[in-house]
Amino acid sequence: MPSIENQDLYAALLHEMKNNLVLMAMTMERVPHTRVAEHDQPLDEARLLCQRVSERLMQALLIYKSDLGGMVLNAVDAYSPEDFVAEMAGQARYLQTPHRIETRIDPNVPAIWFFDRNILEMALINAIHNSLSFARSRIEITARVEDGMLCLAIEDDSDGYPPHILQAVAEDRPLNSSGTGLGLRFASLIAKSHENNGRRGSLSLRNQGGSVFEIRVP
Amino acid sequence: MIAQNGFIDYKTKRALVIDDYPSMRSAFKMALASFGMTKVDVAATGSEAVMRVKSTSYDIIISDYNLGEGRDGQQVLEEMRHRNLIGLETAFLMVTAESVYERVVAAAELAPDDYLIKPFNGEIMRTRLDAILTKKSVFQQVYRSLAEGDLESALEGCDALVASHPKYLVDAMRFKGEVLVAMGNFESAEALYKQVMAMRAVPWSRLGLAKSLHLQHKEKEAEGMLVDLIDQYPELVAGYDLLADVQQSQNKLKDMQYTLQRSVSVSAKSTLRQRRLGEVAYQNSDLGSAETAFRAAIEKGRNSIYLQPNDFANLSRVHLVQGDAKAAAEVLVSNRKLLQESDEGKLISAVMLSKISAHNGRHDEARELIRDALRIKQHKVRCEPGLALDMVQSCLNAGLDQEAANLLDEVARNAHDSTALLDKAKQIYREAGKEAAVREILRQATAHVAQLSREGALLLQRGELKSGVAKLLQASEAAPRNPRVLMNTVWAALRLIEQQGNSDGMLGHAKRLLADVTYLTPEHPRLIGLQNMLRSIESSSTRQRVAAQIANMG
Repeated sequence: MPSIENQDLYAALLHEMKNNLVLMAMTMERVPHTRVAEHDQPLDEARLLCQRVSERLMQALLIYKSDLGGMVLNAVDAYSPEDFVAEMAGQARYLQTPHRIETRIDPNVPAIWFFDRNILEMALINAIHNSLSFARSRIEITARVEDGMLCLAIEDDSDGYPPHILQAVAEDRPLNSSGTGLGLRFASLIAKSHENNGRRGSLSLRNQGGSVFEIRVP
Repeated sequence: MIAQNGFIDYKTKRALVIDDYPSMRSAFKMALASFGMTKVDVAATGSEAVMRVKSTSYDIIISDYNLGEGRDGQQVLEEMRHRNLIGLETAFLMVTAESVYERVVAAAELAPDDYLIKPFNGEIMRTRLDAILTKKSVFQQVYRSLAEGDLESALEGCDALVASHPKYLVDAMRFKGEVLVAMGNFESAEALYKQVMAMRAVPWSRLGLAKSLHLQHKEKEAEGMLVDLIDQYPELVAGYDLLADVQQSQNKLKDMQYTLQRSVSVSAKSTLRQRRLGEVAYQNSDLGSAETAFRAAIEKGRNSIYLQPNDFANLSRVHLVQGDAKAAAEVLVSNRKLLQESDEGKLISAVMLSKISAHNGRHDEARELIRDALRIKQHKVRCEPGLALDMVQSCLNAGLDQEAANLLDEVARNAHDSTALLDKAKQIYREAGKEAAVREILRQATAHVAQLSREGALLLQRGELKSGVAKLLQASEAAPRNPRVLMNTVWAALRLIEQQGNSDGMLGHAKRLLADVTYLTPEHPRLIGLQNMLRSIESSSTRQRVAAQIANMG
């Protein structure tokens, strides 16, 4: 924690940084695509990078507050899983990658579920960004209900997760703190912070025609 | 979802963007332009935004939560909705960089339609706006019923939505809870919030349940729930406010002060909350805390509609009780211009200066000043009961016993049910060595109103609506500033009109009394119900009149 006299300054700096990230995203949205690869490709990469920087900033702030021990959910309320999946698909398409972005909602998914939308979205968008780096041609965002839990998954047609990552997540061991590992540690914290009637959420990874990243929310 | 409910045509919509950063305002404007919106206004501050909504009707308002100095986005939203400057059909999207806002909004009585956490991009803003506008179109009929005061239809509409739109089940239930409270149907509201909590004990459902318990005077239960809620969500100002109400009803003034102190340490910006804290601290004889709070109320209230002349009386009075006549006078002198703008302010100046003169031993000056005050007071000037008691005291000191008795009679008639005020009056007379006189004044003043109210209530219980209302009208005439007496009278009068039609100018009486009580306690939770009852009577009588005219034409 910064000293009391520096806290105001710290808050003001953060505020400005967040504003600038919003401005950067909105400014790049104003650059039109030209269908010329030399122009469009660096633009899309810059947009993805802007998203990644935003993501990492949010994660850093969460760590600062939660001290990695646990995470306090801010706003659990009723949301439509269908809308939620559509919103994430919109975020994936926003990045203009050549991948096909598909969604699938199982008929057994109810119209509403209770979760902390913003924090859960943070975990899932991070997984989408990872998939965009490794998938061959498609990403699917899915929702289903199993064992009384809402299962939200990001599936792709990549080569799948390497064995050491699968094993670490299955055994709930901390991963190394760079790239994919960092995002997965967050996802696990976020999943576990969801609780209902004595049951906790969880993160699971598997390889099944590509990689499957799944968060279960009670 | 959007495809299912149809395309949202942004070209026809008008938006207002509220942000203190010029670069953010123009970025929002361009982002909105990119999906077809050309009618976009901007405002840099809360007051500028309030000015704008007064003259223009907006479909969409996007506001930053942090607006620098002055009001924050949540206060802007509350002011716009409380003062009916925007209707329920206006979409309000809050933008925030503070994660604490999410926890505030989780139980806020007045939540925005949705919010965006910074950093975000244009795509997500579009998605959220699409979702809000789609929901607004589904709720359109329910909103309209509420605006027309047709609460029964609003309730039926909510039930229909629960059945037809499972996606909006929880939204419809939340809305229904508010309608039930507005109707005064607190038992059903309690049951509804319990139903939501059975699905998930989200903070707003717990706050709603505590409120419906409080409104049924189940204070113990409500207090326990609120203590737990605040424990879990210490940033929840709405929770502290309600807890303070609950503690006040139980006369736990020390606890109430502690609760309000915690709430201003979370959010110091509200003038109303600071004033309330000052008042209870003053009652608890905690003069240091009262001084701090009254001073803060004035500072936070500057240039807002919330600052009242009586705030200066409060601060000046505390200084005087502390024995600091110089500071007491300084409050009046440095705010002279503001106080001279209204009769109430002039009255306050005269009364407080009279007290200060008496304190300094200048009794002739004090007598002149209190005579001035009595002259100003003759013109039906608004005068808080605390100030009236100050006048009583000054009159007694100046030997104006008859004037003191008249003033006390007026205070007591309007507050026969407030022991705090009556005790204070007794104390003033005791200190002046005139204890015998006060008992007789209070007895005469309170007995009459209390008896009329009691008799009226009894007649109503027996089903003799008409004679009951007549008694209550007499009580209202004797106690024209007692909110409880006035509200009971309005309620009974409206019931009478509902059952037997409008006769003897009953509707006129009800409207006049309701206007009076709205002026006295604009925030009272029973008001919305009474206003809606009145509106529904008026619209049905209009319908009947039109029907009669059409029949006559045939």
